[in-house]
Amino acid sequence: MFEALADAGMLTMDSVANFLPMQEEVLNGNAQPALTQKGAAAIGIGLAAIGAGYAERGIGAAAVGALAEDSISTGIAVFLTVLPETLAIFALVALFV
Amino acid sequence: MSKSDSGSNPEYVNARVRARRAKLYDDEDYRKLVRMGTGEIARYMEESEYETEMNALGSRYSGVDLIEYALNRNLAKHFEDILDWSGGQLYDQLAAYLRKFDAWNLKTILRGVYADSASEEIEADLIRAGEFDDAFLARLLEVQDIEGIVELCSGTIFGPGLDEALEQYQETQALVPLENAVDRAFYEHLLDDAGRVTDVDSPAALYLEFLQAEIDFRNVRNALRLSRSGADIDPAEYFIEGGRLFDADELTQLVTNTDELVARIRDSAYGDDLSAALNELEEAESLIGFENALDAALQEYADHFSNSFPISVTPVLAYIIAKERETDNIRAIARGKEAGLNEDEIEAELVTI
Repeated sequence: MFEALADAGMLTMDSVANFLPMQEEVLNGNAQPALTQKGAAAIGIGLAAIGAGYAERGIGAAAVGALAEDSISTGIAVFLTVLPETLAIFALVALFV
Repeated sequence: MSKSDSGSNPEYVNARVRARRAKLYDDEDYRKLVRMGTGEIARYMEESEYETEMNALGSRYSGVDLIEYALNRNLAKHFEDILDWSGGQLYDQLAAYLRKFDAWNLKTILRGVYADSASEEIEADLIRAGEFDDAFLARLLEVQDIEGIVELCSGTIFGPGLDEALEQYQETQALVPLENAVDRAFYEHLLDDAGRVTDVDSPAALYLEFLQAEIDFRNVRNALRLSRSGADIDPAEYFIEGGRLFDADELTQLVTNTDELVARIRDSAYGDDLSAALNELEEAESLIGFENALDAALQEYADHFSNSFPISVTPVLAYIIAKERETDNIRAIARGKEAGLNEDEIEAELVTI
């Protein structure tokens, strides 16, 4: 029984060592970041797009309402609705720096 | 759209309501209307916002009646639209306020039945803007006696109050207790949904504040009317709970002394908004001027709130108030013309800000 436990203990130690290659590499001095620059930029652009989409939700609803009352032209309505999209476009800058 | 069908959509409703608000008559229009006769007023209305209603009713009515019915129908159309557009919490808040017209319709029907009017005549006076649907109103119109109406209303917010008032009615044969019960049911349920506000700096809190202001103003108005009429009625019976300004006992004391009442209002949170109104009350001793000033103050209050939270229920509420003012003003002009008042007298009746 004690032997079995000791085996299990050994096994655990081994597997921990197997699953921590990163730590080993860090110790060896050739570290790799979990999030690369490209990856971070992609997340940033995604967040910007979500923000733009959320802003457009409200503006779009208001624009359709104003259109239904004939108080603005379709061009203005479309322009105002897609205005927050500029945020998503600015976020693309992050790809090139 | 029914209760909490979907999320709140203040953006959409606001955009539509603001466009409609821009189409309301302004001071310039009123100046023109005051100089016109009733026929010209009808013509002017037909050429603007009220075209559909004027054309639909033109063959059946004429003169001031035509104007009156067109105004009512237009009001109902706009307010029904607002309820159709709005969803979620916004719907609940607006429906609570627009039940005002349920109260109005119910009172109209009660009065009509009391006076033995034909149901067609009563029907013409209804404003179909509240929560009661056409089927329910039709059933109310079919009933021939007051008891039947009270019984039909048992499922609505007006039920409990009407049940109590019915006994008084049967004793005295006066309609006042029933009408009073309807009004109180409306105002007391107004705060049902709005009454629990946790965040002080939110549209819901402003909405609540506005409703409280309206209740306070209503109490002030009732108190002054009672004190002017000199009738021996207990003001506490007409007192509406929920305001911030008075409680029932205080109001009972103040009614007997107008000067004290005015001083009390002047010291309150409404003092600034109402100072013009209060001056008028003290100088001219005219209740009409004061009541118009109360209406104007309420409108300014609503407009002020709608600037604080542009995308919320408050601008819609401000529109509802403004639309009601417009209807009242045009009606005042038309009725004034019919009664042969001169232009200055009619202008004094108008509520403009």
